[in-house]
Order: sequence, then structure tokens, then C-alpha cells
Amino acid sequence: MSTPVDAAAWPQATAARAQGLSKTYGTGETHVVALDAVDVEIGRGRFTAVMGPSGSGKSTLMHCLAGLDSVTAGRVWVGETELTRLAERALTRLRRDKVGFMFQAFNLLPTLTAEENITLPMDIAGRKPDQEWLDRVIDTLGLRDRLKHRPSQLSGGQQQRVACARALASRPELIFADEPTGNLDSRAGAEVLRFLRDAVDELEQTVVMVTHDPGAAAYADLVLFLNDGRIVDEIHGPTAEAVLERMRLLSGGSPQAPGLDGLRKS
Amino acid sequence: MFRASLRSFLAHKGRMLLSALAVLLSVAFVAGSLIFSDTVNRTFDRLFASTAADVTVSPKTAFSEDNRFTSGEVPTLPASLLNRVKAVDGISDARIDITVQNATVVNAKGQQVGPTTGAPTIATNWSVWPRSPVKLTSGHAPRGDGQALIDADTANRKHLRIGDALRVIAQPGTFPVRVVGIAAFTTTNPGAALLFLDTPTSQARLVGRTGVATSIDADAVPGLSDAALERRIVAALGPGYNYKTQGEQAKSDAASLATFLGVIKYVMLGFAGIAVLVGVFLIVNTFSMLIAQRTRELGLLRALGAERRQVRRSVLLEALLLGLVGSTLGLAAGVVLAAGLIRLMGLFGMNISAAEMVLRWPTPVAAYAVGVVVTLVAAYLPARRAARVSPMAALSDVEVAGTGRSLRARAVGGAVVTLLAAGALTGAAASSDASDAASLLGLGILLSLIAGVVVGPLLVRPVIRVLGGALPRIFGPVGRISQRNALRNPRRTGATASALMIGLALVTGMSVAGMSMSSSFDHQIDKALGSDFVVQGANFTPFGKEISDTVRKVPGTSDVVPLRYAPVLVTLPSGSTAKLTGAAIGAGADHVVNLQYMAGNTARTLALGRISIADSYAAEHRLRIGSRVPALFANGRRAVFTVGALTTGNGSLFSDNAALLMGLSTAERYLPGSQDAALYVNAAPGTDPKALRASLEKALKPYPQVAVRDQADYKALVRGQISVLLNLVYGLLGLAIVIAVLGVVNTLALSVVERTREIGLLRAIGLSRFQLRRMIRLESVVIAVFGAVLGLGLGLVWGLAAHEVLALKGMKALAIPWTTVVAVLAGSVVVGLVAALLPALRASRMNVLAAIAHE
Repeated sequence: MSTPVDAAAWPQATAARAQGLSKTYGTGETHVVALDAVDVEIGRGRFTAVMGPSGSGKSTLMHCLAGLDSVTAGRVWVGETELTRLAERALTRLRRDKVGFMFQAFNLLPTLTAEENITLPMDIAGRKPDQEWLDRVIDTLGLRDRLKHRPSQLSGGQQQRVACARALASRPELIFADEPTGNLDSRAGAEVLRFLRDAVDELEQTVVMVTHDPGAAAYADLVLFLNDGRIVDEIHGPTAEAVLERMRLLSGGSPQAPGLDGLRKS
Repeated sequence: MFRASLRSFLAHKGRMLLSALAVLLSVAFVAGSLIFSDTVNRTFDRLFASTAADVTVSPKTAFSEDNRFTSGEVPTLPASLLNRVKAVDGISDARIDITVQNATVVNAKGQQVGPTTGAPTIATNWSVWPRSPVKLTSGHAPRGDGQALIDADTANRKHLRIGDALRVIAQPGTFPVRVVGIAAFTTTNPGAALLFLDTPTSQARLVGRTGVATSIDADAVPGLSDAALERRIVAALGPGYNYKTQGEQAKSDAASLATFLGVIKYVMLGFAGIAVLVGVFLIVNTFSMLIAQRTRELGLLRALGAERRQVRRSVLLEALLLGLVGSTLGLAAGVVLAAGLIRLMGLFGMNISAAEMVLRWPTPVAAYAVGVVVTLVAAYLPARRAARVSPMAALSDVEVAGTGRSLRARAVGGAVVTLLAAGALTGAAASSDASDAASLLGLGILLSLIAGVVVGPLLVRPVIRVLGGALPRIFGPVGRISQRNALRNPRRTGATASALMIGLALVTGMSVAGMSMSSSFDHQIDKALGSDFVVQGANFTPFGKEISDTVRKVPGTSDVVPLRYAPVLVTLPSGSTAKLTGAAIGAGADHVVNLQYMAGNTARTLALGRISIADSYAAEHRLRIGSRVPALFANGRRAVFTVGALTTGNGSLFSDNAALLMGLSTAERYLPGSQDAALYVNAAPGTDPKALRASLEKALKPYPQVAVRDQADYKALVRGQISVLLNLVYGLLGLAIVIAVLGVVNTLALSVVERTREIGLLRAIGLSRFQLRRMIRLESVVIAVFGAVLGLGLGLVWGLAAHEVLALKGMKALAIPWTTVVAVLAGSVVVGLVAALLPALRASRMNVLAAIAHE
């Protein structure tokens, strides 16, 4: 799938990248440009946050990078594999083996226990999980005594930690988290963000997180700002205040209060 | 609220589709059977009204013999009565009628001209009167011996033309005729073949006596009522005869047909009943799932101020709409079904014009009543559940699938019904009275069916844990998710499986009973039939003396023992009367049948005026050796029998469960016109049975109405008759299974919709389309196999109980049809796979992102 040139050009430093990535929906009057020739690189072993006002294309960017959505133009790589050339079946395999996911809500199968949910991608692939790694992930996330519980027996924060553990369990190239704290109260949210941070610092994973919340973005190494389908700005080593300030500039007024985001999304 | 219901109904019409189909099928069978039987009834009412004379005078009979076991005696009256009838004031026309149904007409190739299944061959005298239902279309009326008319339908079917030679095998003997004309029905031909002879030939050749008639038909002058004419004729002839007005005659003709049509009607209504029963599950599931999916919407309605009553009503209104749409389509489908049945009847020779289809008002009323009431009843529980949705549901984000609700009330109710059912079935098995046992069995089947339905959801967890236990091991995580999904909502899985359970339980129960009957007959034949060969007609129809004489003349036989049927009405010691199928056996019975006696022997059975009966029947009716039993024959003669012997009842092979046997001399004395119904033949010592069979068959070649059978053939004949019955039942239940499959499709399809987000998630984290399809297929198979296991269990219990009841009627063998059991299990896997096709396809085509974002 990948050419030697590609592999040589981005050997280790990049977990994923996109080149001239465009995505449009509809035609005529309903024509919407979600992504407009975006070039982006996701650094390996880093925690990247993607921010932007509603409709800026941040979720679409994530979906295209993760192989969940097709692109209108441009190329996307995860590791050394070019997604934009893959057929449906290979794309499914790639998601299974190379990408970890966390969604805002409904991350877990209600019929499976926490442990079964965590190992599900590997079970589907028919691979044995690396037990040592799995133990490390479970202990890092503090889920040891919750493994036999069903999702309905876990709190919202615990459910997101299980989702996080599942995303980490197969040691993917990178983890995509789509508003992982959107449905949580601030304490549980902070806990989940700290685990994502730990996943990067201690377990050397790569995390891309889409969020509305400047406080959440402050956990990242790098914040990318999207507006009207383009990356318009970035902050290295962000603080919540800096992010909030940048958002205010972007939207040309006061940013949405983080507290309202949860309601809007649900 | 009405608008909300209508919108909701239209919005969910795709999901209602299968429910509507279930309503449609049930209503189609109700409407179809009513239209069919109304049409057939009107057609025949017209025919009988047109064929019957204003007043018919016939010989007095004590009772009418069964069609199946008849003595073959033709009741007659003197033809000279005609003059006395004609002398009655007010007669416009009177004629003698000679009609027999015991003649066989054979063409030049030796093939039967008349129908060989069901409808009779009627040989009668040709007479023309104004309202005659047949008219001559070509040739001329029969004049003298050797001339005959044939009806046009038969002529067409058998390619007969004027001038063709036929042979008529009648009771007095065989005679040749030539076709001199063709007569056509002016109304519907009921499917019979008709042969017309002139009156003297009919008397001589069909009855064997000149100066007799089977009835005298009289028509009244205009203005005189049938009843008034009947009174005048009765006054002239006295009470020694049977009199019937046109209306009465038509009614009694219709009654004899009604048993046949009744069977069709009840089979059809049986279809409808099962379709309704199974359809209810489908509808309940659909509404339950729609409501589960709309919990938030309903919560919002409640939050906005809708009353519980209004919510309930809105759901019931949707059900009403579904019922109306389903009934309307079902009514239309019923018309098509009736037309199909009428055409099918045409294949059997019954020509009813589909254009004359009768749609009386009760048909649409019944159709809508069934469709609407069933839908409303099925939707009632889900509607009540909908009304209980709290306004808080609008705000909560938890999955509401009704999994957590307690099944305790169900467990208690289920246990009670199960105990009652077990009691009834045990009672049926233990009972010694056949009719008590049968009603207990019916009750037990009904109760255990209810118990199965109530308890089904409770069995989901334990049974599917076991059944699906191997899935995770064989299919890994996909198997595990399937198994868990099937376990997820026991109520839903239980209801879906129940639909399948009903059909399969009936199939299993019937096939246990049928196989047991078959094997009991095999045993009886082995035990009771001792002769090398049996010469017998189809359906135990008696045959003429000529055939018996022919068999006797075949060289190489040692015994030729005839059997006749002598239906009698006996008066029991209690004073009540019972109609029994007596069997009369000729001398030498011990050489050809093995009767087993509790007391007495064959000689005491066959002596003049003596009988033997089954020991069990004797005990039940307090009869002993030496008891005197007054008996009345169909021809009105009376006898007082003496019980000479008691048998173990194995003689019931030759009659009914009373096993009343008598000597041939007794039958000849009281029923002088009776005919042999079977001949038991043994090969003489030194004669090869094969050679004897060949010579018997050669000698009987001119008589296609009888066949030579050895024991194996005889068993095959009996088995064939039972399997025809079973096939009919299987066909009936096929429909139930089709609806049950629709139910599985329905549940899966709605589950797939309900689990859209889950499916999206699974696809996002790397489940391939193939794995997703397999997941749904496995869940479907688990549900189907669960239903099959419940059905088989219930069916085997029914079969065992039915067998105990059959044992009371002398059918003691038990046969479990293991091949059917295995086939049902294998079939249920196929059912599961087929049911999952569309839902799996749909799930695998879902867009991952849209699925994840699905509310």
C-alpha cells in the first residue's frame, strides 16, 4: 500500500498525516465544504487536540484520518499505510489493528463485560492480547476491580475509562477520541483526560482528541484550531487561558461556555 | 393525538410491514374459507334443489349406513307403487327412480371410467322430466339392454364417444353396454360419473330384480305445496315408507356432502386459527419494540401533558390502522385463495364456476373482526406499557429495553398453568374412558401451549446458555455477542421463539401420534391377519358376488373366506343404543385371521345369532358371555344376538373398537343383499404364493376396482392413508412456520434498528461486514433452535399423552419419529439462516458514521 518513498519520508515521527484533504457534502444549494485542502501531521507519541467552533470540520477531519469516512480529495496515511487507497475490507482491518477509538457516548457493548469490551478488537481479529501490556493498561486506568462488570453497572467516567483501555489495548498506531469528556461531569472528565495524558507519557501512545472544551485541550501537547474546514492556528504546550483566548479570536466573540456543550451534543 | 398516531403509523410503515403480513394471512384464510364454503354450498344447494322431485318416496331404513363400512345392500321398494302415487290427486308427474352407487364402469382397456377418488360412479335409469338436471346433448336415449348414456364431463375426461363399448360391473353381474348418447349437466357436476340405462335394464342389471325401484319421485301440480302433496301421498301409501319434500331431500343430500365440505372448511379455519395465534406473537413483538424505541418520544408527550390514557389510545389507534389495512388486504387475498381452491376442486372433477363466487355479508364482517380484534388484543399489552412510560424518560439517556423488569409474576403464572397442563395431560394418559381422555387431552394441549408461551421467556436464559454455549468457542467473540444478544431481552426472544414453537409442537405431536397409529396398525396386521392375500376394493367398498366367485375358481387356493360389513344399531344393557360396525366372517375364519379370545372361540362367534365383542367394550357396557343384545339392521330387520365370545379386541382391525364380529350366515339371514367387502385367501399346500398371486391378479384383471394384497401391501395401504392425513397436517403447519419465520425476521430487523449505534461502534472498532452478518445469523439461529427445542419438547409430551389415549382405542404401539425430530432441528437452523438474510444484509450496509450518530 505504501511506497518506500512515503515510508522513508515519514519514518517514525508521524503517526498519521493528511495531504490536501478535502471533504464536501451535497451539491448545489446544499453544498457544504467540511474540509478544504487540509495538510496535517500527527506527531508520534504526542497528544494532539483539535478544536474549532461547531461546523468547523474538526470531527470530519478526525473521521477521515481514522478511516471512518471517505475523502473527496487528497491523501491520508496512518503509519505507513495510505488509507485513501484501501478497499472497505482492508479499511476495516486497519481500524481494527492500527486505530483505537473513544466516542463521546455509547462506547461499549452493553452485553459484554468491561474486560470483554477491552479485548474486543483483538478478539474480533482473532489475536491473543499481550497480557503484560493489557495488565499495564488496566492498572494504569485503575480498572482492575471493575473487569467483570457490565457497562450498565459502571459510572459514566468508568465507562469512558473502559473505552480508553479498549483503545489502548491493541497498542494502535494512534487513538482517536471524539469529545471523550462531553458526557461527563468535570471531575470524571478530568480523570479521563489525565489517563489520556498518562497513555501518552507513560505508555508512549499517540492520541488525537476532538474537543470543545479549552480546559480539556490544555491537557494536550499541541492544539490545532480549525475554522471553515482549514487549520488556521496551533498552540504548542497550551494552557486553558491561551486556548480560550484563541477561540474567542476565532469565533469573533465569546466562545461557547463549556458547560453548554454537553447539552448541545446529547 | 389522532394525527400523531397516523403520522407515527406512516413513519413506521416499514416496520409494520411484517405485522400487516401476519394479519393478512390470518384474515385471508378466514375469508377464503368462508367464501369457498359459501360458494360451494350455494352451488350444491341449487343442484340438489333442482335434482330433487317435489316429493320423494323411498324405502324405509332404520338408519343410514356409513359410507365407509357399508353392507352393500340396496334398499328397494316395489315399482308398482308408482300407480298408487299417480292416482293421488294433485300429481303432475311421477316416475320411478333406480339409482345405485355400487357399480363400476370399465372401458375397453379395462380402466375405470368413473372417478377413483372420492366422488361416486352413479348408475341410474334415464328419465326426462321438466326440471331434469341433465339433458341429452348428442345421440339418443337408451333403449333396451346394452345401451347407455354417459355424462359429458366423464366422456371428456376419458375420451369416450358414441359407439364406444363399456363394461358395467354391477351387483348382480357384469354386462356390456354401448354408448348411444352423451348427457350434460345443466347445473354443476358434483364430480360424479353418471351412467344412464333405460328403466327395465336398470332394474334387471343394476338391482337384479324386475318390478323394483330405489325411490319414486312425484311432482305437484302448480299451486299445490310440496308439503300438501306429501300429506296426500302419505295418506295413500301409509307409513311404511320414507317421504321427503324437495326441501328435505335437498337438505339430506347436502348433509351427506357437508361432511366432506365441512372437513375442508374446518381445515381452512384451522389454518386461520394457527395463523392468528402465531400472528399475535409477531404483532406483540412489533409493538413492544416500536414502543421501546420510542420511549423518549412517549416520555416527551407525557412531559408535554399527554395523559396515560391518551398515550395508550394513540398506540391502540395505530394498531387499529394496522388491523384495518391488514384485514382489507387479507379480504382481497381471501378472494384469491377461494378462487384457487375452487380451481383445485375442478381438478378433482367438481366444476364450480369461480365467476359465481359468493361473498355474503358475514365474510367481510368476520374478516374485519378477526383482523382488527386480533391486532388490538395483541397491541393491548404494549400499549399499556407505553402508557406507563414516565415523563422522565424524555430526559434520561439510558437504554430502555425492558430487560430488567421482574419476571416473577410470569414465573408464578407459568408454574400454575404448567401444573394444570401437566395435570390434564396426566389425567388424559391415566384415564380409562376414551372420550374423557380425549377431552382431557385437548384441554392439556391447550393449557400446555399457554404454559409454553408464558414460560418461554423464563427458559430463554437457561436454555440459550446451554444451546449457545458452544458459540463463543466455535465462533469466538462474534459467537459470544450473538449469544448475549439472544439472551438480552428474554421476553422478546421468548415471544419470537414461541411462534415457532407452536407450529413445531403441533408437527411433532401429530407425527408421534401418526407414527404410533401406523405402527399399531402394523402390529395389528401382523397379529390378526393370517392369510396369504387379501382381495379388496378401494375404501372398503363392497363388491359383487361375481368377483368372489372368480376368486374361488382360481386354482391353488385352500381358503377363500369373505368378510362383510353389517352396520347395526345395538341396544346395550343400560338401555342406550350404539351404532356399531359389525363385521361378518365366513367359515374358515381361523385359517385366515388370528382372533384372540378372552373367553369362547371362533366357532361360538360364527354360530347363527351369536356375536363376539372386545373384552374392553363388554366390560364398559356390562356385557357377559350369554348376554342378549337386541340389534337393528339398516334395512329395518331386528335380531337378538347372544354374546358367544369375548376377544382381546384385536379383531378391531376388521371393524371398530367394539370389534363386533358375527358369522356370515348371521349377516346373510338379516341382510340378504349384503356384499363381500374383502376376501382372505390362502395358498393351498404345495402352491407357490407368488404363482397364486399371479393367477389371482390375472383372474381379477377385468375387475379394476379390487386389488390383491399381501401383508406388506396391506400395511403399506394403511400407512399410506395415515401419511396422507399427516401430509395435510404438515401442509397446514407449514403456514404457521412461515409466519413464525416472518416473526424471526421481524424481531431481527427491529433489533438491528434498535442496535444501530452498537453496530456502528462494532464496525468502527474493526468488525468486518462478514463478521457482522455472521453475528446476526448466529443470533437468529439461536432463537430458531430455541423455538424448535421448546416445540419438540412440547410436541413429544403431547405425542406421548395422545399415544396413551390412542392405546385406549387399541392402538398400543409407540413410535417416536426420530427422523422428524432431527429434521425439525436441522430445519430450524435453516429457518434461522433464512430469517437472518435481510436483517443481516441491512445491518452490514449501514454507514458506520451515521450508525454511531444514530439516536
